[in-house]
Amino acid sequence: MTQGAAIDVLGVAKRFATDPPGAPAVLGGVDLSIGANEFVALVGRSGCGKTTLLNIIAGLETASAGEVRVGGTRVTGPGGGKGVVFQQNALFPWLTAARNIAFAARNRGLDAAAAAALAAELLRLVGLDGAAAKYPCELSGGMQQRVAIARALALDPAILLMDEPFGALDEITRTEMQEELLRVWEARRKTVVFVTHSITEALLLADRIIVLAPRPGRIVLELRPGLPRPRRRSEPTLARLHEQIWDALRDDHAATRA
Amino acid sequence: MNARHALPPLALLAALLLGWEAAAAAGWLTPIRFPPPSRLATSFRELALEGFPFGAFLSTHVVATLRRVLAGYLIAVALAVPLGLLIGASPLLDRMASPVVAFGRSIATLSLLPLALVWFGTEEAPKVFLIGFGCFWVMLSNVIAAIKLVDPVLLRAARSMDTPPRDIFLRVMLPAALPRIAAGARMALGMGFVVIVGAEMIGTSIGLGALIMEARTFYRSDITMVGMACIGAIGFALTALLGLLEVRLMPWRRGRQT
Repeated sequence: MTQGAAIDVLGVAKRFATDPPGAPAVLGGVDLSIGANEFVALVGRSGCGKTTLLNIIAGLETASAGEVRVGGTRVTGPGGGKGVVFQQNALFPWLTAARNIAFAARNRGLDAAAAAALAAELLRLVGLDGAAAKYPCELSGGMQQRVAIARALALDPAILLMDEPFGALDEITRTEMQEELLRVWEARRKTVVFVTHSITEALLLADRIIVLAPRPGRIVLELRPGLPRPRRRSEPTLARLHEQIWDALRDDHAATRA
Repeated sequence: MNARHALPPLALLAALLLGWEAAAAAGWLTPIRFPPPSRLATSFRELALEGFPFGAFLSTHVVATLRRVLAGYLIAVALAVPLGLLIGASPLLDRMASPVVAFGRSIATLSLLPLALVWFGTEEAPKVFLIGFGCFWVMLSNVIAAIKLVDPVLLRAARSMDTPPRDIFLRVMLPAALPRIAAGARMALGMGFVVIVGAEMIGTSIGLGALIMEARTFYRSDITMVGMACIGAIGFALTALLGLLEVRLMPWRRGRQT
């Protein structure tokens, strides 16, 4: 199994060709070093560029300036051991849960039998042994995201990039999925970059939280909860960090609007 | 469709026929212009057993029409599907072709009847051509749209999984587009039955469209109506057959509204 790789984001800036001249960049020169097997959360309001940054790390979008290195190698495109979990509906609706996972495994050269065995193993890992033959439309939103995580793991990626993977789920399912993700992450150590707009989610999951602010997208705060997992929402430290993140977001908002 | 589902539409049909019959019995409808269902049943038997014109049995008309519609339809589908896939997958081709496709779709097929006779004579060829022409544009525009409307998140997922370009087309875009292609196939078939009546107006007395026109000259409204009903019934049956094929082809859409 591939170990997590370090990610270096070096002066990454992003402008869209369609932006009017003079408009603030989506990302304005972001520097960020993520250690191997680190779990990093990117938090910020809509439009702060967190998803764009994730997509640039994934190689699904290109940076206007700067570069991203994964395990020391410059990112030039998607794939190559960069697993991505999207917000929702990214499973292939015409494939069963097991075949969705096997699709990824086949792409990295496993034969049909090995891919099927890996799919079964990963379904067990995400707690969906019984759902192998079900189509995505027959699964709940939470189950679909479990399959999506298993599919990304089937690539045996060095890094796992998650774009608000639980954003479309109800709160109860979401909480279960957070616990589930931590359990899976304990079992398969990977470098995780996790985009969320939920401060609480970031605090419960991440080793390190990167707070981004918009216009131009940039890092305004970094902090490490430094607490063992699983973390309790009622933890006083988390409440304090929550305030701190809020202050950073609010101050920035006030400053840019003034 | 089970019996419980079939009951409401059958009940409505029965009520309409009964009301019609009652209106005729009450003398509100002139039988020669608006023959009641009981008269149509007699005409149906006459048509089936003696034929109209005499010796041209209902089965002969049905077979002739079915052959023309299916020939034109299948040729149109065979041409439109690969062409539509190609255009839909290539932004450049799409830009080039889109005015042509909009233009082609807007041509009223039957306005080509005089040209079809000049080009193809008066036998089977002009009829098959007109049907094919009508079906082709409907099918083509639907196939193009089906490919263009493939959810981009599926393509991003495929790229993030190192899917080779050939597989992205064959194993992602194609199955993702299949439901809309199937919907287009149904619409194109409907178009075939719209065109057939006009296509059979010239150069033949065999075929349901020819039957309808022939009956008119003899002031046989009853035969015209039986012909209409037969076209409707065949269209209904073929559409149902396509529906069954879709379920076979797309098991993941079973139990979903289409």
